[in-house]
Amino acid sequence: MSEYSIINTRAPRLDAPDKATGRATFIDDLNMPGMLFGAILQSPLAHAKILNIDTSRAKKLPGVKAVVTAEEAGLVKYGVSPARYDETLYCHEKVRYVGDEIAAVAAVDLETALEAVSLIRVDYDDLPALFTIEEAMVEGAPALHEGFPQNICAEVHQEFGDVEAAFNECDLVRTDKFISKRQDAAFIEPHGCIADYDLSGHLTLHTSTQVPHYVMRTVAMVMGLPVGDVRVVKPYVGGGFGPKAEATPLEMSACILSMKTVRPVKMNYTREQVFLHSRARHQFIHTMTTGVKKDGTLMALKNECYLDGGAYTSFGIATVYYAGSLLGGPYKLPNMKYDGWRIYTNKPVCGAQRGHGGVAARAAWEHQLDIIAEELGMDPIELRLKNVMVAGDTTCNELNMSSLGMKECVEAVRQGSKWNAKRGKMPRGKGIGMACGFFVSGAGYPIYRSDTYHSTVLIKLSEDGGTVNVYTGSAEIGQGSDTTMAMIAAEALGVRLDDVRVASGDTEFGVDLGAYSSRQTLMTGHATKEAAEDVKRQVLEVLSEKLNTPVDGIDIKDGLIIFKSKDVDFSAIRARYIKEHRGWSDLPRGNDLTFREAARTAYLARGSIVGTGKYKPPELGGKYKGAAVGTSPAYGCSAQVVEVTVDMETGKITVDKMTDAHDCGFAINRTSVEGQMQGSLCMGLGEAMFEEVKFDEDGRILNANLGEYKIPTALDMPNVEAIIVESNEPNGPFGAKEVGEGAIIPTIPAILNAVYDATGVRINELPLTPERVYMALKAKVEKGDTRD
Amino acid sequence: MLLPKFDFHEPTTIEEACQIMAELGQKAKLIAGGTDLIVNMKRKVLSPEHLVSLSRIDALKNVDLSDGPLRIGACVTAAALAESEGIKRTFSAFSKGASVLGTPLIRNLATIAGNLVSARPAADLPPSLMAYGAKVVLKKSAGERSVALEDFFRGPGQTVVGKDEILTEILIDKPLGYTGAGYIKLGVRKTLEISLVNVAAFISLDSQDGSIQRARIVLGAVAPIPIRVPSAEQILVGEKPTETLFVRAGETAAQDSRPIDDFRGSAEYRRDMIEVLTRRALEMAFNEARSHE
Ligand SMILES: Cc1cc2nc3c(=O)[nH]c(=O)nc-3n(C[C@H](O)[C@H](O)[C@H](O)COP(=O)(O)OP(=O)(O)OC[C@H]3O[C@@H](n4cnc5c(N)ncnc54)[C@H](O)[C@@H]3O)c2cc1C
Repeated sequence: MSEYSIINTRAPRLDAPDKATGRATFIDDLNMPGMLFGAILQSPLAHAKILNIDTSRAKKLPGVKAVVTAEEAGLVKYGVSPARYDETLYCHEKVRYVGDEIAAVAAVDLETALEAVSLIRVDYDDLPALFTIEEAMVEGAPALHEGFPQNICAEVHQEFGDVEAAFNECDLVRTDKFISKRQDAAFIEPHGCIADYDLSGHLTLHTSTQVPHYVMRTVAMVMGLPVGDVRVVKPYVGGGFGPKAEATPLEMSACILSMKTVRPVKMNYTREQVFLHSRARHQFIHTMTTGVKKDGTLMALKNECYLDGGAYTSFGIATVYYAGSLLGGPYKLPNMKYDGWRIYTNKPVCGAQRGHGGVAARAAWEHQLDIIAEELGMDPIELRLKNVMVAGDTTCNELNMSSLGMKECVEAVRQGSKWNAKRGKMPRGKGIGMACGFFVSGAGYPIYRSDTYHSTVLIKLSEDGGTVNVYTGSAEIGQGSDTTMAMIAAEALGVRLDDVRVASGDTEFGVDLGAYSSRQTLMTGHATKEAAEDVKRQVLEVLSEKLNTPVDGIDIKDGLIIFKSKDVDFSAIRARYIKEHRGWSDLPRGNDLTFREAARTAYLARGSIVGTGKYKPPELGGKYKGAAVGTSPAYGCSAQVVEVTVDMETGKITVDKMTDAHDCGFAINRTSVEGQMQGSLCMGLGEAMFEEVKFDEDGRILNANLGEYKIPTALDMPNVEAIIVESNEPNGPFGAKEVGEGAIIPTIPAILNAVYDATGVRINELPLTPERVYMALKAKVEKGDTRD
Repeated sequence: MLLPKFDFHEPTTIEEACQIMAELGQKAKLIAGGTDLIVNMKRKVLSPEHLVSLSRIDALKNVDLSDGPLRIGACVTAAALAESEGIKRTFSAFSKGASVLGTPLIRNLATIAGNLVSARPAADLPPSLMAYGAKVVLKKSAGERSVALEDFFRGPGQTVVGKDEILTEILIDKPLGYTGAGYIKLGVRKTLEISLVNVAAFISLDSQDGSIQRARIVLGAVAPIPIRVPSAEQILVGEKPTETLFVRAGETAAQDSRPIDDFRGSAEYRRDMIEVLTRRALEMAFNEARSHE
């Protein structure tokens, strides 16, 4: 057992009772008096000039309160990265994908709003639409955005060391191509929001978001309001996984409609609109060349990647950088060259999704490393162990592994899966495979250039002394961050978990950059710990004065005050407390002074006791262009082993077992860490085996629903053995770092490698549907290749 | 997605329902579980002025396993079918079909009549029912008729059911002697799937170790309606069941089918899977036939 009383346990989630009983409030549970309903008109065409927009019939429809187009909303450019703001709230000159927003309506009910939308007439002039990277990159292809020839939205060219020279020293160099598919994040709760602009000019936006802070800034900028007049409040959120990490046209439509009508306006995306808004994982096409020595020593990697970006930039610049930078570890790799291109196409916009930019790259590489191991005659685990980094190592692209239990993770899954007993000994049709990966524990820099703190936290003790109130702008989106912050606060202050209440997700509580890049446990955690220590110090100072004993002779543990010296007499404090509470049934008794009495005493001496905490990472990373992307105060890592059965006649894969070891530094809540591991594996399994957003020849999505876009069901998920590895991260609060995204990184390649082990066929394209696997098996038979 | 407006009727007897349908005709749609209809109404594919619910007609909810043919009321749900031990014992392939339809939530609502009348090419109940030689009873105020399921489907979403007719019952003769059947659904994931291909097979043997007397093979999701494959069936009849025989039947079924490419799968894959699944369904049928009596 650890020295701690609260953290590192399996404390139940604070929100569990409310969620289990249906009491938890999500955006769609919220209603306000006088509330209107909004709806958006979206383009039915993939690429067209807008000749005219006629809203007159919509405006005349009884019950319609406002109709807005670019004319009313203006043309303020926004986006994710300030270096590339390329969206306006509504299209003006042209539409760039099926789903591009043209107008919005607020009406007394949703039926009327939808009818009004259908009455808006738009005249278009068709433009040639570009749906693939190849089409879009043709010299002289029509440009989606002026000033971006060949539709290159962003390109990256980096070289660390000298790759060509290193290849010359290698015993084995091989090149492989890998193709992943466009994803949808398939969170269960579609986006929704209520904007409420009041008569004093304050705008409050209740919204299902991962990032209240960024949404507040974008809304203020686009609406032309002082940022202080905009407040963003996040109710419970039913998952985000990335696409909810930016301000949406839905949110901004609700805001402008509320400002026009001075009434609350509620808006929701349908599931189809979630697919159209997208901002989920790009399609990646990687070509990788890796060179090794005979003994397996990794020498160099040349990585070339094309990303199908869709019609706007969103997170894409970061994505195209991550697709290179996240291969710097967890292996010692002295030479790395990366060339990446993100291409605009007339399709919905891709953005960030769990494992941002690193998932396909890792799949491609770990798959290739498996091939290399086989060609060298090495066990895939040995190849990896030969090259793993250890704590203190820095990658060739200058990412510092301040802690790294990579080797421990590999050993843990080797043992946990009984790898040695199974590998190479399974019958045809059954296979076992493994892979590794690492991921940031919070982006090193905010999305906009700033010296801002990444998190500020405020803790206020209730004046009656009973309760510790934590106020944070961080976003509980289902991952359990509120519980994590409560546990950190309770531990740092020395109280029981029941004494802590967390209020979160409100921009009025302070700055927090939100739930993305797996940052909250480390960053919000730091700020929470600091605020709790601040409060503790204040309480102890008062006690020290009142009891005439040195501050360092007093501590707080499990809600009780611990005195080093036996003869501290606190009877006066107790007597006064009891006097104040005559007639109450829960008066403190026993031999120890309680935290409640101490906190009350502090209040009586100093007024409300408020502690603050803040966190921002130190300056991180190199000085080269794009060096910021990939930096983090810490890196989580994991290793996975997957076992599969492949039906050799139909190509259908059954994943039988997954063993995952993840180094999260130090587990604040062990159950939550395992939950993130299980969730990541499930999401990775879906991407590996089923998921692909498909389009018809006019750029319309064919499977914009969860019936035809197939995420794993409970029956597709095998049992997962989740092994927590703790490396004690020096830059993390209590040694903690990420688990939310890193755990998805090895899943796809572990499945790919297991499928190869089962079938003898390498498949370089996702998803591994029965048809794709079957066709690969058939091609092998037709080639007369009978090797198993 | 919002539903269009409609009037709602809830008759409590078959006669009353027939009368309403006779009066409203084109303007009305029957609703059972609504798992197909409501989806289409939300998508605005259909917007009937009237919905006539069958849910309050208790006479449509019975399963009669006593003497004579198995009689299944129109409104029996997939969940009830899948849970019935009697059906599992005698009509294992049909039971299987019901148990792999949708998800538990869908099965609790989805009815057998809705599954037949919605006439989706990939539906899970028609193949095995056709393989068992099922008939359906169609009623209207002016009388009733019975139609073999084989003659029931006209195309995707199209059946012989008239505007004023209600499907009230499904009848299946109990298989006698050494008979068996199998049903296999192939989708991408383990559940909540639309079949890429599904196959039902039925055979009867003249004795436990004898030759095949009758055979029916039904393919789903590879044509506008579920189809039988007479050429493959003929290969089997009169022959001793062997692995090679089943392989040949599978090859013939694949050769004689005309699946199409769509975004769910290619024609080539579907054709190859007909071969594999037909063989496997026949093996299942044979194993059951041998052990049945
Ligand atoms: C998420 C989801 C998953 C699904 N998965 C599957 C699956 O795996 N396999 C599968 O086969 N199907 C599946 N379906 C389709 C559907 O659930 C089934 O076809 C179901 O059996 C339809 O029955 P119902 O009672 O809901 O029909 P309803 O929707 O009520 O009716 C369907 C049609 O039949 C007509 N009708 C209903 N009863 C009668 C009657 N007694 N007489 C005349 N006409 C009638 C209606 O007018 C309507 O046109 C799925 C549907 C959904 C939404």
